[in-house]
Amino acid sequence: MITQDRQRSLATTLRHIERVERVVTFGCFLVLIAVVFADVVSRESVGTGLHWARQVGVYANLIVIMFGLGLASAAGVHLRPRFADHWLPANWSDTLDRLRDAGMALFCLGFAVVATGIVYQGFELGERSAVLGIVIWPVQVVMPLVFIVATFRHGTYALYPGLRPAASDDAAKPGVVIERDPGC
Amino acid sequence: MLAGLGLVCLVFVLLAVRQNLLVILGVVTAYATIAWGDGRIGNIVIDAWDAANKEILLSIPLYILAGNIMSRGAMAARLIRLMKAISASVPGGLAIAAILSCALFAAVSGSGTVTLIAVGAVMYPALLEAGYSKSFAIGALCAAGTLGIIVPPSIPLILYGVMTQTSVADLFMAGIGPSLVLIALLTGYALWHNRAIRGQAWSVRETWVALREGIWALAMPVIILGGIYSGAFTATESAAVAVVYAMLIEILVYREMGFADLYDVVGQTTRLLGSLFPVLMLALSLNIFLAYQQVPELLVGGLSEVVDSQAGFLIGMNLFLLAVGCVMDIGSAILILAPMLHPVAAAQGIDAVHFGIITVVNLEIGYLTPPLGMNLIVAMTVFREEFWTVCRAVVPFAILLVIGLQIVTFWPALSLVLVR
Repeated sequence: MITQDRQRSLATTLRHIERVERVVTFGCFLVLIAVVFADVVSRESVGTGLHWARQVGVYANLIVIMFGLGLASAAGVHLRPRFADHWLPANWSDTLDRLRDAGMALFCLGFAVVATGIVYQGFELGERSAVLGIVIWPVQVVMPLVFIVATFRHGTYALYPGLRPAASDDAAKPGVVIERDPGC
Repeated sequence: MLAGLGLVCLVFVLLAVRQNLLVILGVVTAYATIAWGDGRIGNIVIDAWDAANKEILLSIPLYILAGNIMSRGAMAARLIRLMKAISASVPGGLAIAAILSCALFAAVSGSGTVTLIAVGAVMYPALLEAGYSKSFAIGALCAAGTLGIIVPPSIPLILYGVMTQTSVADLFMAGIGPSLVLIALLTGYALWHNRAIRGQAWSVRETWVALREGIWALAMPVIILGGIYSGAFTATESAAVAVVYAMLIEILVYREMGFADLYDVVGQTTRLLGSLFPVLMLALSLNIFLAYQQVPELLVGGLSEVVDSQAGFLIGMNLFLLAVGCVMDIGSAILILAPMLHPVAAAQGIDAVHFGIITVVNLEIGYLTPPLGMNLIVAMTVFREEFWTVCRAVVPFAILLVIGLQIVTFWPALSLVLVR
């Protein structure tokens, strides 16, 4: 009973996180489109582009990518080499899936720890963007943040496989394949 | 030697326990940094951040979003109607319309699988109803669906450009000639195979109506490629223009998309980016490490002793990349292999842009080869057929694409004529 309650509350937490990730990425995507397009319009209409536009676009893209990592986890569409799927017995699949999530959680935790150190270093040195003149740690901080969230997410999937997205290993669904297809 | 053996074992273990590519690349990079580098893991994060902190990468999310927006509406139906109207009078006209629709839609959507689903869902039942064999219909649609990989704007070409520091605009231009050859091969086979199926009378009125409805979609590749080729836009700028154009057309002209749809499409695009970009960042980080350790130079030196002619190298490369296409997705293959193979090809005197096209056409064929051909898997679901039925159906088309690959490989001018 306690486990079920815990699962339910974890599922709710994951849903809330996903909602926030979607809103943030949507906003940043719009910023990315707006600044690059505005740069083109400005150059074509008044003869000079917006010198800051590309760098703002790059930062917006970095935030989209980072939060996108979480959305990819939530949809179970991370790139994975599948040719080795039959190396181990098929009846180990459930255990291997949990192991994959545990491995991903550990990796994300390690990355988050290292990234935190790098961002802190940048904060102490007061590193600034050459184009925008602003300190860059507030942008870089998304890196450890999303990897901590990814640690929580994949750790939860490893502990409670029922919460793992249904699509995570269903290669036969076109929608899933499209989202996995880097040729898209 | 022992460290190298340890790395190979580690990779095999990670593959066996079905780890994501992100973890595999991250662990490999960290292992290599500790075993052969200065052991400072923090450099991996710094390099990964710097790798993504590049303007050229902006074109990837923007092109993917533009393609997804166009794919969400009824663009495919409009293009199919136009192609049907144009090719109605030709024997096997519907088959030709299917292939041309795929090619045109690929130029709009920039995606192989989206093209197969969008065009295939409409054309497959139409082809069966018109008397075309099931095997031909499946094979033609699967093969024509792969055109999205090479017809510009192509995401794999952008990935190749980023990984090898080759001009994306040049790669787009170089993709046009090979695309036309592949389209000609597929349509030529469709015409010959279905010569007994008579066409219908050509209707000027139907062609006019179809053209009027499809003109906005047709303008998309013209804007993208025309903008780049005329020098008006860079690849990134043309991607932004394509997104805004796609939004305006779908929301204001066709009125088939609302805010909720746009929100969904952005979410779908972001999920794809979230799976692709972190891998790309780590791959670029590993690439920097390998370059620092002079691994590409060692590879070039080693291969130069084995390969004694450019033709031998190209044949070997084609066989290798075709094999890779069977077991790896195109994105992972480009991210991992392109930086290694690019200097080797350069040492053999092969133009970087030409080699990019060869690589992408090879991996495009991988969409049709079991066990992991993306279009085979999609077709199995969309057409509700057995996997091996789909595999058998694509055999003649895969052979045609391999013939096309040989033309692309041994006729560099086909790719480079628009670049020079």
